Amino acid sequence: MKRWLVMGLAFMLLAVPSLGSANPNGVGDGTFDTQCGGACHGDADMNQTSSTTVTVQGDDVVYEGLLTSITVNLEGIETTTSGLLGVFLLSDLSGTRDTPGDAGWNIISNSEGGNENYVEIKVSPSQDSRNVTWTMRAPAVGTYQLYAAIHHGTEDGSEAPFFGQSEAPLIIEIVEVPENLPRLTSDFDPITQREVGEVTTMMIETTFVSAVSVEWRVAGSDVQTADITALENNRWSFEVPASIQPSLIEWRVHLEGEGPPQTTPWFQLRSEEVAWTIDENVAYLQSLALILVMMAGFVALQYRNDSSISPSNKELADLEGGVE
Amino acid sequence: MVSSGTLHVVATEMTVGSFAMAGTAFLLAGLASHGVTRLEAYLKHFDHIAHFALAFGLLAMPLAIFSGIQSSPGDGIDHPLLINKLFLSSASLGLALGVLLARRSRGVAIWEHTMSKRWQMLGGMVASGLILLTASIGGTFSRGESLLDFFHLPYDMVPLMPMWLSLLVIIGAVLNLVAVRRSSNA
Repeated sequence: MKRWLVMGLAFMLLAVPSLGSANPNGVGDGTFDTQCGGACHGDADMNQTSSTTVTVQGDDVVYEGLLTSITVNLEGIETTTSGLLGVFLLSDLSGTRDTPGDAGWNIISNSEGGNENYVEIKVSPSQDSRNVTWTMRAPAVGTYQLYAAIHHGTEDGSEAPFFGQSEAPLIIEIVEVPENLPRLTSDFDPITQREVGEVTTMMIETTFVSAVSVEWRVAGSDVQTADITALENNRWSFEVPASIQPSLIEWRVHLEGEGPPQTTPWFQLRSEEVAWTIDENVAYLQSLALILVMMAGFVALQYRNDSSISPSNKELADLEGGVE
Repeated sequence: MVSSGTLHVVATEMTVGSFAMAGTAFLLAGLASHGVTRLEAYLKHFDHIAHFALAFGLLAMPLAIFSGIQSSPGDGIDHPLLINKLFLSSASLGLALGVLLARRSRGVAIWEHTMSKRWQMLGGMVASGLILLTASIGGTFSRGESLLDFFHLPYDMVPLMPMWLSLLVIIGAVLNLVAVRRSSNA
């Protein structure tokens, strides 16, 4: 009994560094308050300040209910050897109910292919700066602030938690929409993800619009113009060409009508390889089945031979007692 | 604090090293029990080394599995190589437990009978081989290459059974163990 207790204790002590460590592989994208920036690494008071410079960029004036893009710019990036870096977009830094959604914003997409306020990005060792962009629908008329924050580990693998935030918020004035402003319909929800090799047909619906043109670009390259087809009832369509590898394509729409011409923010369309998925419960159950069937099969096999052992051998076995 | 990745390397080296030693000792024990020249005298030593090394490898294996899951990138097991690693290590774990249980119940006499000593040697060696194959997959996953690459093994294929079949196999295995236990007590 005492022997098993010591062995169990030794095993627990060996496992503690693994189970009690932070999340060196990240926690995945999600909707998180900034407090999680500390909580995911343990006590927020243990955080050290990241040397990365974080700034939030976007339009100063945005129409109520229309789309706008907010970019978080990271300079002098410091992170772990794996390059994992968590980036938050926040409405304040109070640590509770501080996501953009809590302030009335509606996140349509982000440049990593999701629609959450927290994304985890991989930064290559030679990369010194990086942008992460969110496309959001503006809340009701008023003045709003948006902040950004980051968290990461260290390059030396000590897993010391680092936290950084924007020096100053981006202040945005939300104003009422002029009656005849050319715009996308209020329920427009762009496609943000697709598979590699797939041509995407985008459908857009507009209000107070007489002419539409679309531009697209692969991140960091020249802007191309897409052929647009006018459908009935203020609907338009265009095709985004297939990508041959995982990549990010950005596109935006120029809208013309009676009111002042408008240009939408850049929308992001991320191409991903077809994800390999499996039901983990089925895999774990099969794993258990393999353990039991191999054990039972071998014991049964040896038991079958047991009857043919001579008495003298059995006596020998009793004498030896076997491996305890 | 030691990261999961570092701990995984330590745990896998303990596991693979123990199993490699066990596999070699099982081979030598098998040869000794078959009367190979000048090895008979060392049968008892080979027997003890083989089973002790196997038992130690089994103790280290759960730590290797836990730290491996913790240190793998992304959420959970989302790659065919990781699933195959899980299956191979599970098969090895089960087989090694069977080998140890058989040795415990029958003692050193297991090396006396023609068939039992062959099965014991094979069981121990196959359990070790499965762990080495698991380690090879680990190398393919983390570094893109391994020593066993020249076999061109289909690591990307996952032989997944439906849940009901796994349950059926578990029930059958448990019944089998109970039946063997009752028979041995009778």
